[in-house]
Amino acid sequence: MIFQTIGIWIAALLTLAIYSFLYKDNPFYKIAEYIFVGVSAGYWAVVLWFDFAWPNLFAPLIKQQNFFYLLPIIIGLMMFAPLIPKISWLVRIPLTFTMGVAMALQITQITQGDIFPQLQATFLPFKGVNVYTSITNLIIVIGVITTLIYFYFSKEHKGPLGLAAKIGIWFMMVSFGASFGYTVMARISLFIGRVYFLLHEWLRAI
Amino acid sequence: MNLIERLSHLDRRVIFLLVAFAVVIPMLQPIGLPIDITKPVKKVYDKIESLAPGSIVLLSTDFDPGSEAELYPATEAIIEHCFRKNLKIYVMGLWPAGSDLGNLALNKIAPRYNKNYGTDYINVGYRPGGAVMLLSLGKNFGDIIKVDYQGTPIDLLELGRAVKSSKNLGLVMTLSAGDPGILHWIIYFHARYGVPICGATTAIMAPQQYTYLGSGQLVGLLGGLKGAAEYEVLVNRKGRASIGMDSQSIVHVLLVIFILLGNIILLHQKGKR
Repeated sequence: MIFQTIGIWIAALLTLAIYSFLYKDNPFYKIAEYIFVGVSAGYWAVVLWFDFAWPNLFAPLIKQQNFFYLLPIIIGLMMFAPLIPKISWLVRIPLTFTMGVAMALQITQITQGDIFPQLQATFLPFKGVNVYTSITNLIIVIGVITTLIYFYFSKEHKGPLGLAAKIGIWFMMVSFGASFGYTVMARISLFIGRVYFLLHEWLRAI
Repeated sequence: MNLIERLSHLDRRVIFLLVAFAVVIPMLQPIGLPIDITKPVKKVYDKIESLAPGSIVLLSTDFDPGSEAELYPATEAIIEHCFRKNLKIYVMGLWPAGSDLGNLALNKIAPRYNKNYGTDYINVGYRPGGAVMLLSLGKNFGDIIKVDYQGTPIDLLELGRAVKSSKNLGLVMTLSAGDPGILHWIIYFHARYGVPICGATTAIMAPQQYTYLGSGQLVGLLGGLKGAAEYEVLVNRKGRASIGMDSQSIVHVLLVIFILLGNIILLHQKGKR
């Protein structure tokens, strides 16, 4: 219980120290900032060792004596080759391996899981549905086509092509506006979360 | 100096102070502004309602304390709904701190419904590997998950033994704050194995998910704190998200006023030139 209380006080004081920057830069803000950077670095070091390196690499190698795991260690060490100019070319091996795996994954899954279903979702009916759905579908189809036209750079945007590109810009503007609105909402939500913590957990006012 | 000129030289700290008041005062003196239920949120609720008792929901807590304010209230609301429906919860996290936050919610809510660890819910902890891990996971859970978050062999836990592959899952519910997260579940897991996906995301990520809602790849969505508040209303739960909604609405009105004022000042200055 006492540790929980101490934790709440530390969190509350660090929150206030960070928000003090809104008035002006000050030593309390700097202290909180440095603590955050230090704690984050320490936290990630622990995570990388205990959740990545140890269970997936060193535990099978040392505990199970599976020497196949020496191979990824050697390939991993090649990433440091540029530090020694004479063997810097070795870095190409792990990079090629990583790129190959990533490309294979992306090409198959992005096509199957993103491009095809999204394309399919734009093949929408105008007939046989109610008026509202028909209009919505029409807006989606026009939005997709005109936005794609905006990104067609092989011909000058003049005449009908220019008009379509301009409509595409309007669709994108609406999209950016929605994203901005949601971003504002997210930032305020984070502030609400901190205020709730201060009023509920720390001051017990609500 | 007239009012518009005074406003154009307004110290930005006055705006910070007004926003702070707009957040703090409604929390101390709640107004109770209505919270409307949107379609994407209702779809998440309906999906969970449609699952048969005993079905397994994989709850992927893909966030950390940085987005706790937005996603933790949704985590509690979803867990509460699942337990009320007698669904089993299989928690994992694509982010290191995610499963700990999941535990926080489970430990708070499970005792209220007499749910036991191992039979009604388990937490298998943080699972690194992103896309590669998810592709293997759907085929055979045993390849990826051998122990739970405490190091207990998964075969010693009843729910651990029950989940062999994606076929044993009724739903994946991801609480996502970025990468890896909801997109990985949709593009890699749903596309390959067909398990229905519902999501709760930070508000910043929400607009991007509407394309997946439209295509049917995502069943439903809780966008930000507002989505969580709507879900709390649906499950009849007075939680943190609902408490924050008065503040959220008032700050939004305040910001709209600031934007309008800013534009009026700009037009005035342009007119003078």
